[in-house]
Amino acid sequence: MSDVIEEIEREIHSSPVFIYMKGTPSFPMCGFSAATVEVLREIGVPFKSVDVLAEPEKRDAIKVYTKWPTIPQVFVGGKFIGGCDIVREMHAKGELAPLIKAAAKS
Amino acid sequence: MVSTAEIQRCVEAALPGARVQVADTTGGGDHFEVQVSADAFKGKGLVEQHQLVYGALASLMPRIHALSLRTQVPEEKVK
Repeated sequence: MSDVIEEIEREIHSSPVFIYMKGTPSFPMCGFSAATVEVLREIGVPFKSVDVLAEPEKRDAIKVYTKWPTIPQVFVGGKFIGGCDIVREMHAKGELAPLIKAAAKS
Repeated sequence: MVSTAEIQRCVEAALPGARVQVADTTGGGDHFEVQVSADAFKGKGLVEQHQLVYGALASLMPRIHALSLRTQVPEEKVK
């Protein structure tokens, strides 16, 4: 498990926005993952993703790492900001784009 | 299957005084929308607020396929 956690820590810092999801951005395998990708596309920010369905060990590890039981999980600037509900809520309030732009600059 | 009452009971037990609304979105007992308003959320970010609710539902989560969650701090009374 610790190897996977180390890999997760590398991944979340490898892009200003990183998302653990079911499926891929082109072929999401779950409505919540699809909705989260949709928000990121609306903001127009490039992001990296991992398909947890293809990596079951990582699916378990990420839940332990964030103490968060559901997928998708979104990281901005290496920090966990939440799942689909929070991302949608932040986007509706206009809070998500500024956060992402600040992370992209640093 | 999980019932809306079970979800409500678990959240209320963990967050005394919370106002909890639960909807079974498909009628199948595994897709839910949960709204929680609680004083315990005061001063906490959304991640922490949701973690409190997920913590309360930990024993039920393996039986729940999808959970949409909305949390808020109760509106303060106007002085």
